[in-house]
Amino acid sequence: MTARIEVHGLGKQFGGRTAVEGLSFAVQSGEVYGLLGPNGAGKTTTVRILAGLLRPSTGTARVCDHGLDDGEALRRSIGLLTEQPGLYDRLTGRENLRFFIRLNELDEGPAWQRAEGYLRRFGLLGREDEPCGSYSKGMRQKLAIVRALVHEPEVLFLDEPTSGLDPEAARTVRDAVAELAADGRTIILCSHNLAEVERLCGRVAVVRTRLLAEGPISVLRHRGSALEIRVEGQGEAAAAALQPLGLGWTVQGPLLRVTLQDEHQGPDVLSALVHAGVRVRSATPTSRSLEDVYLELVREAGAEEEA
Amino acid sequence: MSFHWRRAQAVAWKDGLDLSKNPGLVWSMFALPAVLVVVPTFLVWAWVRSPDDTTFRAMALYYEPNFPSGASPLRFLVDKVLTDWFGLFLLMPLFTPILIASQSVAGEKERRTLEPLLASPVTSAELVAGKSLAAVLPAVFISWVAFVAFCIAVDAVAWPLVHGPVLPNGVWLFGVGVVAPLYAFLGNGIAVLVSARVGEARLAQQLSALVVLPLMGLVAGQLAGWLRSGTAYYALQGAVVLLLDVGLVAASIRLLDRERLISRWS
Repeated sequence: MTARIEVHGLGKQFGGRTAVEGLSFAVQSGEVYGLLGPNGAGKTTTVRILAGLLRPSTGTARVCDHGLDDGEALRRSIGLLTEQPGLYDRLTGRENLRFFIRLNELDEGPAWQRAEGYLRRFGLLGREDEPCGSYSKGMRQKLAIVRALVHEPEVLFLDEPTSGLDPEAARTVRDAVAELAADGRTIILCSHNLAEVERLCGRVAVVRTRLLAEGPISVLRHRGSALEIRVEGQGEAAAAALQPLGLGWTVQGPLLRVTLQDEHQGPDVLSALVHAGVRVRSATPTSRSLEDVYLELVREAGAEEEA
Repeated sequence: MSFHWRRAQAVAWKDGLDLSKNPGLVWSMFALPAVLVVVPTFLVWAWVRSPDDTTFRAMALYYEPNFPSGASPLRFLVDKVLTDWFGLFLLMPLFTPILIASQSVAGEKERRTLEPLLASPVTSAELVAGKSLAAVLPAVFISWVAFVAFCIAVDAVAWPLVHGPVLPNGVWLFGVGVVAPLYAFLGNGIAVLVSARVGEARLAQQLSALVVLPLMGLVAGQLAGWLRSGTAYYALQGAVVLLLDVGLVAASIRLLDRERLISRWS
């Protein structure tokens, strides 16, 4: 697999305010990569830099083998769905799409056929000659997605793609995102909907101006995960055997709960207990939800900033 | 950075389409031409109805102290008012693009359409060209249509006095053909510049409209007899406006830079 997006030490300052600082990550071809963070964390700024709308203050990035100063070529290879659909309300759906087909200098016939395919998939075919001002919020969002796809970009930046959609429409969009990734398209998904991110993304980056955590969701979910161990006798005596590992633990009768720094520490913990002569009756790894991990990361970062 | 004419045309096509679907704006574009055609026509009609009014000679002597005693003061005044009126007629090509261009640039910000537009391959120069076309062409077209209507109306009401057409004359043909398009570019350039710096179309319109004040000042100077209008006078205005147009286009391209627009307005 080849990286379609490579980001190295990316930073952006607006006047004296730092919006993004030292971001580094890579997104592989066909990957759906989640960009998570609270409001004002720098997700949208990052996307705008990668879409060639803003120049970084520090660092570099390559998108589809284009540097950020390749402006025009870079923007040809990306599709952007902004938080607001940004449609021309007086124009019909067809006219909105035709405008972007023309801006991308595409042959109108084949490009419109492709657009029709997307309109059909999103249930908008038959409504394309109505003014966008008469569309529902969901229809507007779906048309904006079609607009982002009309020039067949390699990389898609989706900022809250299911925001404001009813569950059925949201599911259509999610399915479409998954299909686009299966087609080999690389997608960066900014979302506050962590369930959606878990469903769609393989890897995520959690940002709050700087990168707080990055990696596969399965690994992130084990950050601060625990091993619940039931021993014979009292747990306190068994816990003493864990001192050399330097891990945190709590005890409740025979139940010992050991907090792991990563999932690979589980066997070390059990080995230490067995070597100390502790009789282990059961051991259950407990991973956390992405939401728990995300909230913890963001709170820690907030506390650090305040300190 | 290459300039792709197709992309500029796409921007002009979209803005033109959007304008054609905005009846409020279209009607407001026709209000000023109507006033600028009807008022002088009515004035000439009223004068021609009472050709023996003694105040005409006094007025002619005010503007021309050596006015010959045998000449017709009414004819002199009709020619004078029509030549001076061209200064006010220039309000039309100046103001119409302000109405359109303020909507098209600041309107993109208001409607949140700016970011998807800037994420497309279109360059700043293409954006300026497309938006300028969409604002300048209707303004020049309306000015020309109004001019034709004005010629017909004035010739009709002045016929009993002149027994022939008074318009078009050299001043008006030169003015409408050369100076009016230059003023249309001026109005557009100012509106693009202002609306790149403010967030609302209405505010952009109000601020840009201040550009009519110097023009009104010039017309006031003509009416007061301090400035003598004619082909040379309007040619000089045209030359100054041409220089301003070149500067405004360069400034607009610089101001429609993605970084500036996005970091300021999105």
